[in-house]
Amino acid sequence: MVGNPNCGKTTLFNALTGLRQKVGNYPGVTVEKKIGECYSQHGRPMKIIDLPGAYSLAARSPDEAVLRDVLFGRREDTPQPDRIICVLDATNLERNLYLVHQILDLGRPVIVVLNMMDLAVKAGLRIDTHQLATALGVVVISCAAVKGEGLVELKLAMSRSDLPLARHRWDVPAPIAPAVAELQASLSDADAQPPLIARAEALLLLTDFESVRIAGSKPLSARTAAVLATWQQRCAREESNWSGTLIRSRYDKINALCREVLHRTRPQELSGSDRLDAILVHSIWGWLFFGFIMATLFFSIFSLAEYPMNWIDAHIAALSSGIKNILPPGDLRDLLTDGVIGGVGGIVVFLPQILILFFFVGLLESTGYMARAAFLMDRPMSKVGLHGKSFIPLLGSYACAIPGIMATRTIENAKDRLVTILIAPLMSCSARLPVYLLMIATLLPAAALPATWKAGLMLLMYLLGTLGAFGFAWLFKRTLFKSTRPLMIMELPAYQPPRLKEILRQMLERSWLFLKNAGTIILGISIVLWFLTTYPKHPDPQASADAQIAVSFAGQAGHLLEPVIKPLGFDWRIGIGLVTSFAAREVFVSSMGVVFGVQDNAAHALPVRDALRAARWPNGAILFTPLVCITLMVYYVFAMQCMSTVAVVKRETNSWRWPLFQIAYMTGTAWLACFVIYQIGRALGY
Amino acid sequence: MSSALHLLPLCQLAAGATARICVINGDDGFAQRLREMGFGEAALVTKISGRTTSLCQVNGTRIALNHDAAMAILVEALPAGVR
Repeated sequence: MVGNPNCGKTTLFNALTGLRQKVGNYPGVTVEKKIGECYSQHGRPMKIIDLPGAYSLAARSPDEAVLRDVLFGRREDTPQPDRIICVLDATNLERNLYLVHQILDLGRPVIVVLNMMDLAVKAGLRIDTHQLATALGVVVISCAAVKGEGLVELKLAMSRSDLPLARHRWDVPAPIAPAVAELQASLSDADAQPPLIARAEALLLLTDFESVRIAGSKPLSARTAAVLATWQQRCAREESNWSGTLIRSRYDKINALCREVLHRTRPQELSGSDRLDAILVHSIWGWLFFGFIMATLFFSIFSLAEYPMNWIDAHIAALSSGIKNILPPGDLRDLLTDGVIGGVGGIVVFLPQILILFFFVGLLESTGYMARAAFLMDRPMSKVGLHGKSFIPLLGSYACAIPGIMATRTIENAKDRLVTILIAPLMSCSARLPVYLLMIATLLPAAALPATWKAGLMLLMYLLGTLGAFGFAWLFKRTLFKSTRPLMIMELPAYQPPRLKEILRQMLERSWLFLKNAGTIILGISIVLWFLTTYPKHPDPQASADAQIAVSFAGQAGHLLEPVIKPLGFDWRIGIGLVTSFAAREVFVSSMGVVFGVQDNAAHALPVRDALRAARWPNGAILFTPLVCITLMVYYVFAMQCMSTVAVVKRETNSWRWPLFQIAYMTGTAWLACFVIYQIGRALGY
Repeated sequence: MSSALHLLPLCQLAAGATARICVINGDDGFAQRLREMGFGEAALVTKISGRTTSLCQVNGTRIALNHDAAMAILVEALPAGVR
């Protein structure tokens, strides 16, 4: 299944395959590989591959390169499809036909699906599908995937074993013809490509600039590469524009076709999207609306989420005390309540906030507003040398840096993509929330101050991270990644009502991932940490909890680290939290619960807060002073404390160099910022 | 046409005006993608809004271009009422 971005391909794919989907990655690249299953009208199972959206086979990003290489049969991991479903946005027939025109070159059985036909009719467009089918010689199906219209017809067509081959005759522009013929012959002989695919690939190779090559795809044979190089040199010498000639020739054909099959029933008028855009990208109203959306987002995360969080909290606490009633006192009981429930429960409680974040991001994406936000943000982003497209991954990173970093794949320019990847983890992700919330709770005496103070402090941390990200982008674009300012071209899709089903599906996927993490990594760390803080046992069995931790393995390690973090106001116990939370930031909270031995009610955030307030330095001074709480929050704003992000950056950049650089610059900045804040704060008498 | 074409960069086109795309500068890859999206020479473009970042309509699609991209596209403004 192929199509332009925003043509409704994913909606159609979901409608056809329902929950029978497998999501993975193409080996060697991080492009998502989605395979679904559905049954033909005769009950035969069929596999559908949802290929990444693209405007053209001339690949400018790894996503598009996967599409190209699968269709040309150059990937070992994916067999060449035996039929191709081309999904088109019927409201924008001409541009969508461009990709179809390239695909028809391949000479494979093709089904053309005109999606969003309902919107096209509404916009006053009449498409003669019969004539289109006759002209192209393929099956054409009109469809409205959102409403489920046309799905039966599509399945019927997919079930046919006698799909016609396209009547797709067009003459290659004369100036390119000799080159195409020679390259086609070489691709047939040396690369064993079938004749039509060889011709299509020759056309593409000769007119493609800076085409993206990806790992895991079969490279060109030496002979073909040599033939290609010769012709490319000749093209450059003669200053011919083969690419422009070919595109024009394709569009000439498409325009002629559209004159036959596309009719306007009434003159073009302003669509609903146009009227909305007049407000939503307006230089004043647009920004006001954008501010309103962002404010709603943060308000929901910080206030609405409280209700489900309290509910989860209460249940975890009940579970913990239930276990205490059943089991006799001893190490096993402590392991279960302090280690397992204390560690994992402290994290699960943040699930509602993460769900709300993903709900909002999904809502903005599926309605088409995300592209408008990127449009608005283009100007501020250009001040630091990036363009508006970088905003989408950065906004996603407020939820989690991992999907954010994966979303950078739509940025064509490699340097801009790398800068965006490097700064994305500076956006305060949802894993920092538990840390911020705990520190704010420790810092501000309960109920003494209005909730606005808490929200204000929290927003300040988000702002600090965002400013940091922009500052580093500015710095990187001026030093490491000097390049001319990127040229941005981005389609703004028509507004659509939110597809709640798809958003819910995504939220479920994300929360499952989060819970799986909590159940495996965080559970493991909590148990290991409990062990490290419990053994070796203090010689005196009556020793206090503090004394016990001091002699434990974790305590010994913390003491080793203390000289490095003491200038920031942190002691060895906080040090244990910093080290364990390198796995994931939220582990800090569970670690504090374990280290400060929250006995009575292990899972509840409030007792952790009280335990922290009671903590003292050996000389009796308060450990968690307001200054230390703020310094600790600032540390988490900047420090790179997430194993999963490191792994994703390694995968996306294909080297260890960038994730290591990222750890160094982020954690270095964190240490320096904390040092300055703490020392100045101390000097001022705080 | 007797007089030479009066070309101006797309970013300077007034909001609401329609123009014909005449020249695409900028690097080859960028020009290729523009043409593939139907933003090629001879296409009609209507500017919707924007000074730094331009919002345009080509063939019924709304396309956003940043300032540098809109600078690289030279257009010929058409008299009002032509679409």
